[in-house]
Formats: sequence, C-alpha cells, structure tokens
Amino acid sequence: EIRIKEPIEKEVNPHLLPGELLLCEASTVYKYMQEDGSNRGTYGKLVCTNFKISFLDDDSASDDNEPQFKNKIVGENDITLQCVDQIYGVYDEKKKLLTGQLRKYPEKLIIYCKDLRVFNFCLRYTKEEEVKRIVSGIVHHSQTPKLLKRLFLFSYASAAPNNTDGRNQTVMFETLEDWRDELERTKGNVKYKAVTTNEGYSVSEKLPLYFVVPLCISEESILKYEGRGIPIWCWSCHNGAALLKMSAFPKEQDDSTSQMQKAFLDGIYKTISKPPYELLKLDDLSSSLPSLQDIQTAYTRFKQLFLIDNSTDFWATDVKWFSLLESTNWLEIIRRVLKKAIEVAECLEIQHTNVLLIEESATDLCCVISSLVQVMMDSYSRTKSGFQSLIQKEWVIGGHRFLDRCNHLHKSEKEEAPVFLLLLNCVWQLVQQYPPAFEFTETYLTVLSDSLYVPIFSTFFFNSQHQRDTNKSGESLKTQSGPFRFLTVWDWAVQFDPKAQAFLNNPLYAEKPKPDKSQRKTARFKHQRQLSLPLTQAKPSTKRGFFREETDHLIKNILGKRIGKFINSSDEPPNSLREFYDSWHSKPVDYHGLLLPRIDGPEIKVWAQRYLRWIPEAQLHGGGTIATAAKILDLMEEVQSLQVKMDEEHSQAVSGDLHSVPMLRNSARLSSLFPFALLQRQSVKPALPTSTWKDLEDEDDLVKRDDEFVDLSGDML
Amino acid sequence: MSGAPCGRRPTFSGLPGERVLEEAAAARQRCGNGGGSVPGTLLCTNRRLAFLPGQAPGSHGFLHSEVEVALPCIHKLVAASSFSKPKVLTATSTLKFIPEELAVFCRDFRLLHFYFPENGLAPQAFRVANAIAQAREAAAWLGDTAEGHDGWPCPGETPPEEEHEEEDKEEGLSTMLLFESLQDWEKELQRLGAVGWRVSAVNERFDMAPSLPQYLWVPSGLLDHDLKRTFAHFQERRVPRLCWHHPGGGDLLRAASFHPASEPGSEDVRCLETLLLGDRGPCVLANMAELPTLADIQLAHLRLQALCTGAVAEEKWLSALEGTRWLDHVRTCLRKAVEVVSLLAGKRCSVVLQEPLDRDLNCLLASLVQLLGDPHARSLPGFQSLVQREWVAAGHPFPRRLGLLHRDTPREEAPVFLLFLDCTWQLLWQFPGDFGFTEAFLLALHDSSFSPYFSTFRFSCQRQRGHSSMSRLPSQTYRPMGSWQDPGGHRRGSHTCTFPPVWAWGQRYSRQQREQFRNPMGPPAPAESLAPGTPGDLCLWGGARLVLTLAKGSLCPHPLPWWSHPPLRPPHRVSPSESQGTQGGLLGTCHPPPGLLLPCTAGPCIRLWHRCYLRGLPQEQQRGRLAPSLAGLAEELELLQDRLHAWNMRRPH
Repeated sequence: EIRIKEPIEKEVNPHLLPGELLLCEASTVYKYMQEDGSNRGTYGKLVCTNFKISFLDDDSASDDNEPQFKNKIVGENDITLQCVDQIYGVYDEKKKLLTGQLRKYPEKLIIYCKDLRVFNFCLRYTKEEEVKRIVSGIVHHSQTPKLLKRLFLFSYASAAPNNTDGRNQTVMFETLEDWRDELERTKGNVKYKAVTTNEGYSVSEKLPLYFVVPLCISEESILKYEGRGIPIWCWSCHNGAALLKMSAFPKEQDDSTSQMQKAFLDGIYKTISKPPYELLKLDDLSSSLPSLQDIQTAYTRFKQLFLIDNSTDFWATDVKWFSLLESTNWLEIIRRVLKKAIEVAECLEIQHTNVLLIEESATDLCCVISSLVQVMMDSYSRTKSGFQSLIQKEWVIGGHRFLDRCNHLHKSEKEEAPVFLLLLNCVWQLVQQYPPAFEFTETYLTVLSDSLYVPIFSTFFFNSQHQRDTNKSGESLKTQSGPFRFLTVWDWAVQFDPKAQAFLNNPLYAEKPKPDKSQRKTARFKHQRQLSLPLTQAKPSTKRGFFREETDHLIKNILGKRIGKFINSSDEPPNSLREFYDSWHSKPVDYHGLLLPRIDGPEIKVWAQRYLRWIPEAQLHGGGTIATAAKILDLMEEVQSLQVKMDEEHSQAVSGDLHSVPMLRNSARLSSLFPFALLQRQSVKPALPTSTWKDLEDEDDLVKRDDEFVDLSGDML
Repeated sequence: MSGAPCGRRPTFSGLPGERVLEEAAAARQRCGNGGGSVPGTLLCTNRRLAFLPGQAPGSHGFLHSEVEVALPCIHKLVAASSFSKPKVLTATSTLKFIPEELAVFCRDFRLLHFYFPENGLAPQAFRVANAIAQAREAAAWLGDTAEGHDGWPCPGETPPEEEHEEEDKEEGLSTMLLFESLQDWEKELQRLGAVGWRVSAVNERFDMAPSLPQYLWVPSGLLDHDLKRTFAHFQERRVPRLCWHHPGGGDLLRAASFHPASEPGSEDVRCLETLLLGDRGPCVLANMAELPTLADIQLAHLRLQALCTGAVAEEKWLSALEGTRWLDHVRTCLRKAVEVVSLLAGKRCSVVLQEPLDRDLNCLLASLVQLLGDPHARSLPGFQSLVQREWVAAGHPFPRRLGLLHRDTPREEAPVFLLFLDCTWQLLWQFPGDFGFTEAFLLALHDSSFSPYFSTFRFSCQRQRGHSSMSRLPSQTYRPMGSWQDPGGHRRGSHTCTFPPVWAWGQRYSRQQREQFRNPMGPPAPAESLAPGTPGDLCLWGGARLVLTLAKGSLCPHPLPWWSHPPLRPPHRVSPSESQGTQGGLLGTCHPPPGLLLPCTAGPCIRLWHRCYLRGLPQEQQRGRLAPSLAGLAEELELLQDRLHAWNMRRPH
C-alpha cells in the first residue's frame, strides 16, 4: 500500500499580473522533481490563467530561499502559454501527444517548454472533475489557434499602469529622426536617405513607416511594386561600402510581367552600381543558405536532445552524443550562416563593394545575415544598447514575422522557423569566442531568447510595424483610455531587479578607450586589456604576401585537404575569402574592430547555458566558467575598492582611522549552470545504486526518508 | 642548452654525447598560417631535431622548447617539392628529390614546418632531410630492456645545466615530494592523517617486489615479518598498500590481482586479511572491467592523432571525434573515479583498486581519485608529488607505454599517462577555481613526457632508476635514490650523468612561462592539510569481513579467492551513533562536502583538449600556447595593495 502524506490544506493563491485571469485550477497535483527517475516531488495546485500555467507548491508560501537570479514575471514553476512547446499525456505508461479535443484524460501530464524545461505532473490524486477542467484548459489555451487580440499582451496593456520610463538607451527606429541619426552615425548619409514614402503605410504594410534607400531611388520606383525590388539600406561600413537588402519578386507565371520586373530590376541595379556607388554584389540568400524548412527541421531535432524526461533518457543518449549532435545538422547551419557573414564582411571590408542581400520577403535570413555582419563589423552593435538597437532596426521594425515564425497564435506550423534563435545562437558563438568584445553576457542572450515567449512585451509579438500600429489603437476593446502603450522587452527592469540585471553585463568588457574620460577610466581599461593579453600575444603581424608563394605551396601540397575540410565543405569559395579569414586570424584581435568568428568544425559549440541549464546531470557543482567569472568579479571588486581607497587617501591625506576594505567575497560555490540551476533543489546524484547500501543502513533512517518523500513506486510500477 | 649569444649564428650546445649529424643553414620555420617565418638553422643530431633561429627574439627558453623535437617524438616526416608529390620519409624510403619544404608531425600533436628558400642550399636540405629520417630509426631508446643501462651513453660530462637560473628557488621542486626517501613517505602519511598505517621499509632492497617502491604504506598492525608472507600471493608481488586516506576514514589501496597459483596457508591468510581488510570495515575491490584496455587506449590515441593532425580527410568533425573513442575513454575513467571517491567520502570503507599488474590504470585511477578528493593534490606541488608517487615511484613503465623504446622490443605502447593528463584537463576545465596549476602546466607536462632530457619518464620503476645511477656511483653503496635533487648532498660530483626530473621546470621554461603554470585563483593555501581522521571510529559494520566488488557502477558481495564458503551476510543494523558519523554520506546531503569535486561525465561536458590536440592546425597556432589567465589582474591587485600599504606606513598616525 502506498503511504501518502496528507497534503496540508493551505490556501495558496497564484500571483496574478494586471489583466491576468484565473481560468481553471486543480488541486492535489503531484509535481515530480525532474532530476531523477525516482518519484520524488511535491504536492500543489496546478492553475491555468490567460497568461500562464503555474504550479503552486504547497510550501511555496513559506519559501524564503530566494534565488539570486529571479525573473519577476515568470517564476520557476510558471510556464507562459506561448512557452509551451508540446503537451503529452500518459495513459497506462504510454505517452500520447495532446492537441485538440480529448476523450480520455491522462493520469500524467508532461509539458515540454520552448525554453527547454520539462514538467511532469501526476494527476492521479486529483478529482476527476478537476482533471478534466485543467487538462482541457491547458491544452485549449496553449495549443489551439487563437486570435491576435486574445494575446495576453492586450489585456495586460489595458490593465497595467503605464509607468515605462523613457530613459531607455535603445534606438527604437520608430521615427524618421532615429533613421537619420543612424545614417549619420555610420556616415551613410552621403549616398543614402531616409524616406517618408510609406507614411500611413501607403506603399506596403510589410515595410516599416520609415526606411532608408539610396539617394538615386525615386519615389515612383518605390511605389511601383509595393517596395519589392528596392534596395533597402541596412548599414554602411567605415569605408563607405553599404549592406543592402531587397525583397525579391515572386516567381511570375505571366511572361510579360516577369519581363517588366526584370527590366525594372536591371534599371535599379544600373542606377546603384554607378559612381558614386561602389560595385554591387548580389547575394540571393534563398539559394546560398539553408531554407527555413531546413532550419526548422534541424532545430526540432536538436532541441529534442535536451528535452529529457528523466535521467535514464539522458544517459541513454550520452554514448552517442557527438554523432547525435552532428546528425541534427543544427551546428552545421550555424557554421554556414557564420561563414556567409564572413563572406559579406570580406566584400564590404576588402573588396569595397556594396552587398545586396536578396530574399523573397527580406525579413528572415536577410535579418540574420545583416545583423551578424553588423555585430562583426560595428563595435557599437556589441554594446548592450547597440545590440538592442540593431534588433529593433533589423528585426522588429525591419518586419521579421515573429508571430508566424514563433507560431505564437498556433495558426500554421508551416510558417514556424527559429530564425531569431538562429541569430542568437550565432551571436553566442562570437560571444564565447571573444568575450571581452561584448558588453553583454551569454546570460543576456539566454534571457533574451526566453523573452520571446513572454507576452507582456510587444517586441516579439507582431509580424510588422504596421500590424502593431493598427492593433495599438484598441478600437475593438471597450477601453476608452486611448491607444495601448506596450512594454518593450528592452526595459529589463520589468523582468529583473537591479541585482539580477547585473548578470546581463559583462564585467570584462574591454570598453572602448575614450581619451576625454578621466584617469580612472583609462586605468580600469588598462587592466582589462592586460587580462586579455595572452589571447592576443600570437605574434606581430607580418607584411602580407612576403612569403606568400611558399605558404600557398605547402598548404596546397600537404595541408590543403585538411584545411579545406573545415572551411569549405561544399563549394569552393573564392581564394580571397580564405586569405581574408587567415590573415585576420593571424593578427592580434582588436576588440573594437572587425571580429571574425572561427568556423572550423571544432570551434562551433553548443550553447550550454541555454540548452543544458535544466539538466542536473550536466551540472557542475562549483565549476564551469562561472567559477572563473565569479573569481574575476571578486578581483575586480577588490581592485576597484582599493582604487577608490587610494583616491580617497590622495584627496584627504589627513583622514581618520583606517577602515578596512570590505571584502564582499562570495564564498559560495555556484553551479556551472548559474544563474539558472535550481540550487536549493539540487542533490548530489548517487554514483552508485543505493539498493546495496540500503540494507546496510540504519532502518530508522529509511523510515525518515519515507516521511520526506512519498514513495509511489509500488503503485506506479 | 645555454642561451643564444648574439653571434652570427647561435651556438649549439648539445647534450652530453650528442653530435650534430647534419645541418642546413638558412632554413626557415613557418609560424602559423599565412603568417611569416623565422630564418635559422635546422639541425639534426643523434638525439633530436632542432631549429636555431637566426635572430632569437626575447626568451630563448621558449624557443628551445618550441622548435626542437626529440627524435622518438617524430611521428611522421613529410617532404614536399613543387616538382613532385609529397613524400613520407622513413629510414628505408629516403628522399629522391630536393625538398623545398619539410613538415614534421610530432607525437605530441605539434606540427612543424620548415622550408628552404632557393639560394643554392639545396644539397644541405636534401642531406638534412634524409639524416632526420635515418636518425629517427636509429635513435629510439634502448630503454630498460638492457639492465643497468638506460640506452644513453654517458661520458663523464657535466649534465646540462642552466647556470644562470636560480634553481634552488624552483618552487615546485622545493615544496614537492619525490618519494625517494623514507622522510617523504613519512611526511606524506602524516599529512594524510592516516591513523593505523605506517611506512614499511621491507622492500628497501627491492627484493620483495622489484617493481614496487622502496617504501610502502601498510597497516600498523602488520609486522614486516608478516607482511613478507603476502608478496607471493599477488602478481609481480605487488601487494595491496595505501594510496590515500580520506579524512572521514575511507582508505584507498591499490594492488595487483591475486596470483592465480597461490594457495595461502592459514597463517598467510591471516596476514593477507590484515593487510586487505584490517579492522577498517567493508572492503570494496574495484576492478578495471569497464575501463579501456591498453590496446583500446593506444588505438584511440592513434585515431585521435590521425584526426587532429589531419592524416585522414574526415568530412564530419563530430562523428569523427566520437569515432576515435578517446573522449569515451576519458569519460569512463572519470566516472569510475567519481564512483570510487563517492564511496570513500560517503561510506567509510576501504577501496582496493585492483588491476592485473597494478602498473597502468591503477596509477591513473589512484591519482584521479585523489585529485577529486584531496585539495592538496590540486595544488601545483601537490600534483607533482602525486604523479611522482602514483606513477613514477609506483612503477608505471613509461618508456614502454610512451613508445620510446627501440623498435625491436615488443611494443606495448599505450599512452595511459596522457589519458590521465586529459582527464586532469577535463577537471581543470570543469572546475577552474579549484586548481593551483593551469592548462599551460599540463601542456608542458604533456610535451615533456616525450622529451629525453628528464629522468622522470625514462625508467619503468624506482629500482631501475636507482640501478642506472648506482652503476655510475660505485662509491655510494646504499643511496640509490640520490639523483639530481638530493636534499642532503645538493648536487654530486661531476661524474654523474643524471638528468633532472621533469619538475625542474627552470631548465626549459622561462620565468614568465613558469608564472603561467600557476593559477592565481586556485586553492589559496598550497598545502592545506586535511582534518585528521578520527580513530576509534574504524569499526563500522561490527567488524564484519565484508568484501564487495565494484564493477560497472554496482556493488555486490564477493568472496576472497581463499574463502571456501560464501561470506557472512552483513548485519543489517548499524548503531545510530555511527550513521550520524562525521561524514554524513553522499546520498542524503544536499551539497558535496567541501573539497570534493564531482565532475560531470555526460557527453556534453567532456571536451576535446583543443590547445593540446589541435596545435597542429594553423589556425590554432595563432591562439597561442597559453590560455589567458587571471595573472594580470591578480598582479595589479597585489601592486595596489602594496602601494596602499606603503601609504599607510608613511602616514603619521
């Protein structure tokens, strides 16, 4: 017989956001602890609101064990409806995908989340009525198509007090001014102009209100095909070469139409290829990069490696880890995208040609490549505000169809593709290869990827600027308070308190030296550079081409095959690319200049923080890079406090007593998955089966254990 | 190996007995990919291949270690010319054309490129290339096949010395233990706080077990007289002896397997059981069943080498890496070590590592367990002492395993030691804050294992080492261990030709480089002593003679070979006071006890040691040998503290 500890009847109420409504709930739900196959877990209430699914731990009320890094909106046991990836029901030990109408109700519910968490709920002890309500409620609200206006975004915006402060440094690119400033910043204003042709969305609903085109493009040509076939400016390189994007014409059946389109394009190419414009290089991304379908397939397979029901599954995949990883093709796609970005950077930097990226809609892979190129070439994009402005410019205003690509409304699975995640994965490769070059950390990228599924921010919940603007007015809702004012994800204070926000900033960022700044600043900068010195110690750059002939020779003869295998697996790239890549890598890294990722096979890695964070088996207690980072933070703090002290002593040499330097040493050993792992829950995995020891151990001890965790094994098996 | 004076050409000061066979002036060594090259002279001696750069920049020590290859370390020699296909050179298949370029693939994963600009030096290039190919075959070690002769003819020359280096201040050496003297064994036993154990000198003349060290840690309750009875019952007479003692009470022992032919009498059984079981509670025999065999290790290493130095054109990197199975072996070893250390830390019992000959995987496992469990082993001197004790003194046959012997000897190559270094690197990578040494140090050790200039890896056991130095020192009758570093008699007369231990880093690495060996964020105190064990607590399970085996992650009762009937079932109850012992046991605790490292052995957590294995790749060479370290920051902190201190001193109070 099973012994169940009588759950303490305690009134636990979900914490509701403004505009959040409780839809259904079920009590006496048993949540398994994910880490081990044992049936340990906790009792609580499972609720579903119009924003999230939430498990309310019976003990959660008295939980004073606050984690250091906590999301204020989405708690540890909260799953936003948009974050639910798949729901499975377990019927007699068989797993079945739950989608629409249910005839039978499962005894166990497994929820796989898009942020890679896995929740296991046992409904065996819940009243049947409640099971029906909660299961169908959860499935209905998270898995079935819904109207845009039903997104929580709108209820929240109408109910929440609007207290966004305008002090955000992110450029939103919603005004003409923003575009003009960007042109000025990149010195693109000589040859490019911001146009107002699309005011009122008269040209196209897909285009942003304001955008930038070459000076020579007339308003008529923009109007002619609703903005198709028009090169739209993304960014200008320091040497004047520009990165442009263009949405291509769809394949036309009608011959004369396509003839006309061709003539139109030829005209456009001609105008923008002659001086003062640089030579133009076209790159059709739909043919040179994997299709969205490929990306979706690869990611689906890839994430499966990390969505693990229990540790047995984990160890089962463990033996074939590398080949499984390779077979997903996800890392290969990352590599190809990075390589494409290097190609584009080479054209801009070395060949001084303009690059025109072409894609059907110019809002998917165009965004990935143009953003990556800017991250690599423009050090401003490697600051936090610069990166956020870049995302605004290329993705949010640029018209990436977030709603469709993330399938937030469950309209069509065909449109789904993790394009934005692909960008974040590529940027992560750069961040981990050159940490000092970025003002933000990988934690920043991880929480940014999580924010894709938090529907209180407008940033990732519209397909275009037009869609957002037209839905802003609130005409269909009864509110009379005028247009909604949506929150932006860049306001990190909404999700994280200042202490947690500190984890988003890279303490080792090699800030750009500013000559007008005070001495302190430069001193600080100096030791940061020192720290990175060994990285750059390689060797002084030598004149290119001096020994070039001999070098080429040997490489061809002996090493050619091997090098080839890493850099160009499929097609033979122009030799200049190879040379560009090699010569850049043979020089010391300038963290404020051009940054090229290493793309050889061994260099492309798995973003462990994002993908492994919920897997206790992959956790190192007191290890991982966080151990180094924590130490660095300690040292920096100490250095800074000493510097402050020195300054003080300098200024007031006759100060009083010596106050000891406060050593804010954090001696706690953190988890390698910090700040995500749930330390208080973590227990050391026994390296050996416990059964043998059990009969050697004190029986009293065993009894005690049974009190702590309800042992369901007898019944479940 | 003295520094290069600023002459026309740097002088070459060889090793004793070393002669230059061929040389090619005005050769160039290529640095990295697409980069420049350094002009200099390529030399081939009977010992090594060396490149002396014409204009030696800065630290000569660095260049020395970078551009010389001991002949046995050459894996493959490829010559190329624009008129013919690249050709692999061996002693029998020599060059038929004038080489323009020479690529040397080394067994330590380096890849060196030399080329010869066309300036009328073609014959030199031809000669030197052929000389290398031939010398490589000829120069392989004779090694320990010949007794009392290490294969290196030693005329009465002074050993290679670095006159200007202050070797006494060599930190690693002064604080580490070489385990060549009784004091070292005593000192370490005291540090471990292993009550109930003593140092036995029963093997002082190597007559009990030739391959074991002179001194052994054995139970105090066992007299030497009784101990002598046990040797015959183990393979190679390698009896169980203590390796490490966990402060909570667990003991780690290592032994060879029971001798198949032994049939101990009742008196012998008593002695054997005192040695194996004592009164220390249950005894777990950990066999090596799931660990890779020597052949597995060798095969994996060869495959890894092929993959990383590019002899095979594999299309898919990750599956090719998996196919080598090297990381799999690394993982298996780590997992086993975690199991053993969990037993020691969580359950007070003794674990006996048992390998047929106790000279390979036992070395690896014993050292890994200590790295996981003993913070001292993670300091730089502690690690060096560990290698010295568990590998060098314990008799790991380095020359055979590293393949440094002459071709004619049966090859028993298996880089067990390199596998250990990789495991250590995984730990270092997973727990960067817990080690007193850095990746650079491990790399230096890795490379030095192929180097012929140190005594450390040139012998198979202490006896052989002692023998080789004794044969030259007839006057010294019973101080066989007296080698390069002798606490008493500093350095002995100039007649000895002993090479320094590898730990004399100053011989090959510059001060700056040695700074890089130290991890400033590592354990603060170098020799943090463990809490002494609690005596009297020893009798855990009512003194039951419980013997279990640990295999494939599970424990099961197992009789000792001489037990005629199955062992008694252990009593089920343990008195309450014991279950709340000092060390609560792993299963219940929330955090691992301080000082214990539990590495993750899952697929995603085991990585390829890039800086070591991918050194041959041109793009890796730009990355530099050394990982960035916190040294800069730590230095600045020290400076600021000093200045602040100075301020306070000057200020009137």
